[in-house]
Amino acid sequence: MEFMTMPTQQAEKPIQARFSPYDMNGGTVLAIAGEDFAVIASDTRLSQGFSIHSRDTPKTTQMTGNTVIGSCGFHGDVLTLTKVIQTRLKMFSHIHNKDMDTTSIAAMLSTILYYRRFFPYYVYNIVAGLDSEGKGCVFSFDPVGSYERESYRAGGSASSMLQPLLDNQIGMKNQEGAKQVPLSKAKAVALVKDVFTSAAERDIYTGDGIVIHVVSKDGITTETFPLRRD
Amino acid sequence: MALADVCGFDMRNGNSRLKLGFGEENYDPSLNDVLLASESFTVPRGVDIAQNLARFTDEKSNVKIHFDHGTTTLAFKFKGGVIVAVDSRATAGPYIASQTVKKVIEINPYLLGTMAGGAADCSFWERVLAQQCRVYELRNKNRISVAAASKLLANIVYDYKGMGLSMGTMIVGWDKKGPGLYYVDSDGERLPGNVFSVGSGSVYAYGVLDSGYKWDLSVEEACELGRRAIFHATYRDAYSGGVVNLYHMRETGWVKVSQTDTAELYYKYRAEKK
Amino acid sequence: MECLIGIQGQDFIMLATDSVSARSIVKMKTDHDKMFQLSDKLLMAVSGESGDTVQFSEYIAKNIQLYKMRNGYELSPHAAANFTRRNMADALRSQRPKFVNLLIAGIDEDGPSLYFLDYLASIIKVPFAIHGYGAMFTLSIMDRYYKPGMTKDEAFQLLQRCITEIQKRFLVDQPQFKVRVVSKSGVEDLGFAKPTPQVDS
Repeated sequence: MEFMTMPTQQAEKPIQARFSPYDMNGGTVLAIAGEDFAVIASDTRLSQGFSIHSRDTPKTTQMTGNTVIGSCGFHGDVLTLTKVIQTRLKMFSHIHNKDMDTTSIAAMLSTILYYRRFFPYYVYNIVAGLDSEGKGCVFSFDPVGSYERESYRAGGSASSMLQPLLDNQIGMKNQEGAKQVPLSKAKAVALVKDVFTSAAERDIYTGDGIVIHVVSKDGITTETFPLRRD
Repeated sequence: MALADVCGFDMRNGNSRLKLGFGEENYDPSLNDVLLASESFTVPRGVDIAQNLARFTDEKSNVKIHFDHGTTTLAFKFKGGVIVAVDSRATAGPYIASQTVKKVIEINPYLLGTMAGGAADCSFWERVLAQQCRVYELRNKNRISVAAASKLLANIVYDYKGMGLSMGTMIVGWDKKGPGLYYVDSDGERLPGNVFSVGSGSVYAYGVLDSGYKWDLSVEEACELGRRAIFHATYRDAYSGGVVNLYHMRETGWVKVSQTDTAELYYKYRAEKK
Repeated sequence: MECLIGIQGQDFIMLATDSVSARSIVKMKTDHDKMFQLSDKLLMAVSGESGDTVQFSEYIAKNIQLYKMRNGYELSPHAAANFTRRNMADALRSQRPKFVNLLIAGIDEDGPSLYFLDYLASIIKVPFAIHGYGAMFTLSIMDRYYKPGMTKDEAFQLLQRCITEIQKRFLVDQPQFKVRVVSKSGVEDLGFAKPTPQVDS
C-alpha cells in the first residue's frame, strides 16, 4: 500500500458521463451435447431496436476442427471477441503444432472475458465440440467469464423461451418415471429446428433462418433451415 | 538457483499480483491487444468503473448485462472438523441462469473456497489464489496455512476495492493449527470464526444453523444440520435453490459428502413432520 | 453502529471497543477485536469502512515497528499519533481515501496520553473520547462522572456506566465490549465487559 502525494495539476480529469459503447443486436444460440457429438445452432437475424439489419448473419464461428463457438449480444463485441479467440488459437497451433481442444478453448475464453471485467464484452457465449475423450461437450458463459459444462444450453434473446423446452425434452425435468434415453443426432437436430421455430413465433429478435452445425469425430457438418422472415 | 528462478517466476513482483491495464507506459488500455488479453485488465479511460458497470443493471438502459450471481453458502467448525454446505442456483437478474453451479471451489486437497456474489469474480480470484498457494508450496516445501491463504485473497481483492468486484467467500481448510475458517469479502474484510453464512439466503440459513449448532455435534449430525440450513434457505429465498452440495474438511483434507436435490429434501422433511 | 471508548486515568489509558462485526443487517461475529497493538505501550482502537480498518491499521503498526528497527528507539505516543494523522491526511487527498476513525492510547515519561482521530484526519488530545453513535449517549456521562487522576477501578466503573447506558438506550444491540489498559507495564487485556444487568423500567 502506498500513499502518494499528488500535485493537483497532475490529478486525473474529473469523472464524466460519456456515451456507452454498447448495443444489443439480438440473436439466439443453442447447443446440445450428445454421447459422441455436439449440435450447435444460431438464428441468422441481426437487428437493432425495431429494425432488421441482416437476415443472413449466423452467430456461430468455427474455431477448430472440432470446436464451434456461438456468440450473441452486441455484434461489435462479438466480432472483436471471435477475432481475438481465432488469433489466440492460431498462435497456439503455430507454437504447439496441434489444435487446442474444446475444454481448453473454454478455459481460455473464460480468462479472456474476465480480463475485460471492468469493461466487459457484452457477449453471451456457448462453446460446443468434442472433449479429449471424444464425448460431446457444451460450455456456457456469462459476459464476464463465469462458465460451466452442461449437456444443453440456450443463450441470447430467446434463451428464456428455449431453455425450459430443453429442460423438458432433454433434461426430463420434473417428470416422474421419465427415463433418460441417449439422444440421437437426428433427434437433436429435429429438436433444434422445432424450438427455434417456436421461438421465432414469439421473439422479435429471432427469425429469418438457422444455421446448425453438428460436430462429430468425422468433422463438422453444417445445414440451414428457414424461419419466419417477418 | 531456486526453483522459482528456474521456472522463470518473477521475483521482482514478489507477490506476482496481476497487473492492471493502466500505468504501463505507452500502453493504451482501451485498445484490446490480443497478446495482452490474458495478462492485464482492460479498463475504460476517465470513467468511474463501478458507476459504469452499475449502468448495465439499470432498468432504463437498453443494454442490460446481468452477471451471474450465486447465493446461499455456509460453513461451520465443530468437534469433527469443518462442514461446508451450499446451494447451486445462479441467477442473472430474475432469470435462473443455472441450477447446477459448483459453488464450492476446490482450491487444493486441503483448501476449499465458497462462491457468493459474482460467480466470475469468485471463480477467477480463487483460481488465482490456488495458483499462489501452489507457488507458496513449491517455495517453502510446506502447505500454506488457512490464515495466510485467506489473507492472500483479502489483500488481492482489497487492491480492487471500489472497482465493483462482488464476492463473499469463506476459505476453509486444515493446517498445523487444526481446522480453519475465514470469511473474506470484496470490501477487503477478513474475519476468523466458527460459524458463517453468506449470500441472500444467509439470514434463513443462520436461523436454522444457530438453533441447532453445538460444538460437540457428531459428523452425521453436523452434515444434517448444514444440509437442513441450506434447504430452509432455498425454501424461503427465491435466489437460492437447486441442489445442496456438502463438503467435510478433516485432518486428511476435504471429502465431498453429498449432493442432494432440494425437492428430495422437501419430501423427506415433510414426511418427518407427520 | 460501532463504538470506541477511551478514558485517561492516573497512570494509564483504558480503551474499550464494541465487539460486533456486521455486514448489512447481519452480525457476522460478536467477539471481534477492533484493537491493534502498535508497540509495547501503544494501542489503537479502530472503526470504519470494512477492509480499510485492518489494512490501514496494519500499515501503521508495521511502519511504527519499522521505525523502531531502523532507529533503535520508538516513536512517542504524540509522534505516533501525528504520523498516523499525516497518513490519513495524505490518503484523504488520494484516489481512494481511507474511511477509519481511531483512538490512539500510549504512555511515555510524560505520562499517559489519548488521541482522538477521525476519518477527515483531525486530531485532538483528550482526557476521554468516544467514537460512533455511542457518543450521543455517553459523552454526558463522561462529563458528569469523569475526574482527572482516576484509578483503574474508578475508570472501569465509569466505562461500565457508559456501556450499560448504550445497551439500555441505543437501538442497536452491543452485547459486550473488549477492554484493554495501557500502562507503564505494557498492555493488559481485561477481557470483555458486559452491560450491568438491570430491572426493566
